[in-house]
Formats: sequence, structure tokens, C-alpha cells
Amino acid sequence: MSTTLLRTFQPNQFSLLGTSLLRRRRSNNFSVRFCGSQTTTTHEAKQSSPTRVAPKNHKSNKLDEILRDYEAVIGIETHVQLSTLTKAFCSCSNNYGSYPNTSICPVCMGLPGALPVLNSKVVEFGVRLGLALNCDLSLKSKFDRKQYFYPDLPKGYQISQFDIPIASGGYVDLDIPLEFGGGHRRFGITRVHMEEDAGKLLHSDTGDYSQVDLNRAGVPLLEIVSEPDMRSGIEAAEYACEMQRIARYLGVSNGNMQEGSLRCDVNISIRPIGQAEFGTKVEIKNLNAFSAISRAIDYEISRQALLYNQGKADQIVTETRLWEEGAQKTVTMRKKEGLADYRYFPEPDLPEVILTKEYVDSIRASLPELPEAKRRRYEAMGLGMQDVLFLANDVSVAEYFDAVIGKGAEVKLAANWIMSDIAAYLKNEKLSINDIKLTPQELAELIAAIKDGTISGKIGKEILFELLAKGGTVKGMIKAKDLVQITDPVEIEKMVIQVVSENPKQLEQYRSGKTKLQGYFAGQIMKMSKGKANPGLLNKILLEKLNAKD
Amino acid sequence: MATRALLAVISASPNRCFISPSRIKILQSSTSSSSVHFHRHSRKIHRIARSYSSDSDSSVLQPPDVSRLAQTARISLTPAEIEECETKIRRVIDWFGQLQQVDVNSVEPAIRAEMDGGNLREDAPETFENRDSIRASIPSFEEAYLKVPKILNKE
Repeated sequence: MSTTLLRTFQPNQFSLLGTSLLRRRRSNNFSVRFCGSQTTTTHEAKQSSPTRVAPKNHKSNKLDEILRDYEAVIGIETHVQLSTLTKAFCSCSNNYGSYPNTSICPVCMGLPGALPVLNSKVVEFGVRLGLALNCDLSLKSKFDRKQYFYPDLPKGYQISQFDIPIASGGYVDLDIPLEFGGGHRRFGITRVHMEEDAGKLLHSDTGDYSQVDLNRAGVPLLEIVSEPDMRSGIEAAEYACEMQRIARYLGVSNGNMQEGSLRCDVNISIRPIGQAEFGTKVEIKNLNAFSAISRAIDYEISRQALLYNQGKADQIVTETRLWEEGAQKTVTMRKKEGLADYRYFPEPDLPEVILTKEYVDSIRASLPELPEAKRRRYEAMGLGMQDVLFLANDVSVAEYFDAVIGKGAEVKLAANWIMSDIAAYLKNEKLSINDIKLTPQELAELIAAIKDGTISGKIGKEILFELLAKGGTVKGMIKAKDLVQITDPVEIEKMVIQVVSENPKQLEQYRSGKTKLQGYFAGQIMKMSKGKANPGLLNKILLEKLNAKD
Repeated sequence: MATRALLAVISASPNRCFISPSRIKILQSSTSSSSVHFHRHSRKIHRIARSYSSDSDSSVLQPPDVSRLAQTARISLTPAEIEECETKIRRVIDWFGQLQQVDVNSVEPAIRAEMDGGNLREDAPETFENRDSIRASIPSFEEAYLKVPKILNKE
């Protein structure tokens, strides 16, 4: 029940640039160690490169050493909270942040006689996600009751799917960012099933009681179970990123980890390299950021390897551990005495879920282009992997980029504008790309205006920020501000002659060998033209005048 | 609560059977006041539950261990009640034993009993009008929240 553990919220939010933010942060401190852990996926110990920069943190060195002898085996359970308007089995609204215990009714409160009725959107979202993860769909599936007692579970059981999930046997493809070693990976998806969330438990710091908010009880979830295919913290974090990306592309969830809309539980064991059987598996909960996933795994690998090396492998026990963000370590939450017995049995109050082929086909036809397809398409357009990953990371950014190139803008130029100046603006102003006033049409115009020499790149940058904040058209702004680039050699020559004649002292110095002064002249001329002189022409004419023996 | 608890008791038995509503009355009198206290026992569930996890498909049905089942369902029973229940639950289990003897080799398994299919709900919110009385019936409700003993670990 990971839901109960997400009470610590991180203040920093992943906004538009989810992964890139993470990437940047990691690349400052951890890139060396991630590159190191990356080598384990080849199933062989590699020598670390001698030219490598010494890691700031000696722990990363240690991890590299560990991974020469041990291999980590990692599987992930992801709970995706669906962005339906109502709960899974009743018409209560599904609305994060409502006043506590207001979105309740006899069904989600488990009152006697109340009967659940399945929300059609839950089935639709399940099918969408199942198809997106390349799964086989069960045309007939059913709900089961998973029974346990806990104060956040009013009915005393969770309605879930046990032996016949709606989707199973799929896979997901993703690209590892270059700074972590790069490469393409495919991870297996064991199953996707529909279930309901429990309420939210809040633990008071003082006092010996906890508080329960049942607004979340009965909210629909899709649980995605991966195969144990991941081998490092970075692979696991990238897998989780991809789940978030897919959920957002599909529109089935906002994927917000801080609100608990996307929750990952990691199962991890390590084994000596070459050993076929898995080691003892430990589950880690309370991972509410992608960086926490990779750091918790790295910590766990180190901890388990130390026990192995000390001959205390028997102290690695089946247990659930909590990631403590403050201390950057995992601690025992509860030891498991064996497999929990949830006494599953078929939910008698709900009929089986029947999907027709026509229904599945119609949903398949309505699927958007998914992140992997987008990345491959961008790659085929000639963009580098860094550009590809940046643009495809956020569905809104990708849609914006697609719209800009749809208006005829050159691919690489469009990518550069979005990734540099526009991204910086969004970051500074804390905006999403949907908030900016610059339409894709106008960005394409701007790129074209610079390319055909109507305006200089410098002026293009200046009007970009005005367009971002206030909107308007490129053509209108060029006209209103008289920004058209001066490309008439005669006009430029006039300015060159004037500036050169007004600076006889600098001219003398230039001619006696201080050729760096060319920049001074160029600056003066550019100033005189209000930045509108074509820089190439300006420099060509300036050089001629400076070097002329008159 | 009692209804549900009994269902849990029944489902905890090895063959996961059901019981007709008329039999639910058996436990109602003794448990109607226990709904608030279910969390007090929450750490004990595991050990008890485990003993049922290795059930085989044998057609020989185990007699019910009522005190264990009661604990699993967080119900307090007196020894007299345990004795009373044991006979009744055994009768039900025996009845399922008879059902298990039926030869179903030639029958295609149904994953669910026949129900009116296709009764899905539109995703349209509706506020339940009588929320106040639901909240009023919560035994320990303070400052907009249900108040429960502090529980940090499940099971």
C-alpha cells in the first residue's frame, strides 16, 4: 500500500522539463557514477576509464567497484492514478485537493448494501495504456477482492484484478541519455491491471493518532508491473520517466509524482555476476522523485554488496524498506514473514469486463504518436539524441515543435530555438510551453525571417522575448520597429566610412598592427545601424576600408 | 461491518466459498459494535493469514478453525460463540464439499457468474447528497478527518 507512504512532499516540482532537470542535476554530481553503473548492463565487469575525471563523491567509486562483482536485478511496480472525473466504482468526483472527506458516498465508504458500478473511462484508459505498452489484452477480465485491514480502506478490501489482468505480456522501449552512457533499452511489462486507490493517511507529528481522508478511496488506478529487467538505478529512473511520459501522452494521468499520481515501488536484489538465480529481494517505497529512484537503488546495491562481502548475505532479508530523502538512505519499514495472504476471491458485485474487438480497434486507432515513435521520427529527421530526448520528453513541447516544423521551419533551427531561448524563458518565468503567446506559426516566421536575411539573428532574439510575452506577429513587429536588416552595401559602406573617419587615432593604431581594433569599429558601426547592419557584409566592407592604402 | 467481516471469514476458508445472506445473522449480534476497533489488531493479521497460503486443491475440505478466521476478520468471539459458529460454518463447508464432487470436466469454466453485462457507468460526477449523515455516523471524526490510532506500519 504505497499510497499511505507518500505523505512527504518535496517542495521542488518537476515542471515542463522533468527529465532534463533531473539529468542536469545528476550530471553535476553523479554522472560519473551513472556511467559506471551503466556498464553492468553488458553483464561483464569493465575497467573504469583512466582518463575519467575523479568523482567528487567517493561513494560513486565504490559503486563502480561493487558493480564489477555484482549485478543488480530490478523490477518496478508503478501505480498510475487516472485523471477521470469520477471514482472507479461510484460517481463521487475524483478531484485532488478537495476539502477532506467531502467526495464520499455509500459505495466508496463501504456502507452495507451499496453496490459498485464500473466507470467506463477506467476500462478505456486501461486499454489505452495496455496498447501503448504493447500488451496482449484480455477480452474477458474480472475484478477480485484483495483483503486487508487498514484504516485507509473503508471496505476492508480493495477491488483489484488478480489472476486475469486487463493487459499482460508487453514491453517498453526507451533511450538512455548520453550523459549516462546512452543506448536503447527494452524492458518487459508483466501486466497492467485496474484497481482502486485507498484513502490518504496523515500522521500527526504530535499526538498518538493519525488522520484519514477518504476522498481518494475508490479513485481509479492502473498498476503496471515490469519484468525484473533493469540493472541499474539510472535504468530504473528512466523506466519510471517513460511511464510518466506515456501516461501524459495518452492523457490517462497527470503523472504528477508530488501529488502521488504516479507512484513507484522498486524491487531490487543483487547477485554475484555469473550466478543464475536471483538474490533475496527487497522492496523500496516512498520514492516520489525520479532522482530518489536511482539514488535509493544505488544505496541499496551498496548496502547489499557490503553484506555479501562481509559474508553476511543471510542478513539480506525479504523486507520493505523506506527511502529517507533527508538522510539519503533506506531503512527497514517492515520485515515480511512470508507472502502476504490477501485471500483474493472474485468480486461478486461486479460483472466481468468484456472488450469487443471493435472497441479495442477504435481505441488503437485513437492512440496518439507515443514517445518512442516520436523519438525515432525525430532521429530520422537528423536531430541528435540530446535534441530528440529533450523535445520528446514533454508532450506539449513535442506538439509545439511538430507545429513549428509543420509550418515549414527548418528542423534543426526550430529545435535550437525551442531548446535554448524558449526553454530558458519558460524556466525563468516558471511557465509551460502552453502559456506562451508566441504561436508555432510565428516562430516559424521568425526562423524564416532570419534565414532569408530580413532580420539579423541578434534582432531575432530580441523580438523573440517580446513575442513570447506579448504575442503579435513577426512581420508586424519588424515593420513597427523598423527592424529590417540593412543588406544594401552602399548604405553599409556609408556608415563604415563615417565611423572610420571619426576615429583617426584607432585607425592609425589598427594600421600599425593592432588588428584587434576591427572589433571596435564593427561595434561602432553596428551601434550606428541600431543592430540592423548585416554582420557579414559589415565586416567585409570594414576590412576593405581598414586595409585600404589611401 | 459484520456482513463484510463474515464474508472475509468465509473467504478465508480454503475453498473460498460463499454463504447465503440469511446466515450472516449468526455473527451480527456479537460484532455490531466492533466496527471502530478493527485497526487495533492490525499487526496480527500476517501470521494468521499465512497459514492459509499453502492450501492445495485437495477435494478434502479442512474443518474451519473459527478462532483463527475470527482473528483474520478482526472479530472478537467468545468461546461459546466459536463453538456455535463452528458447527454452522462446517455445515456450509460440507455443502461446498458436495458441490466439489460434481464432475465438471466437460464444462467450460466461467470466470464470472452470468450477470447483465455492459452495465458500465458514464464518467459523470454526481454529489451524494446525504454526506453529512455519513460523516455523522463516523465514530471518531475531528477537524474534517477520521481520527484513528497512529499506525505507521501495515500488518
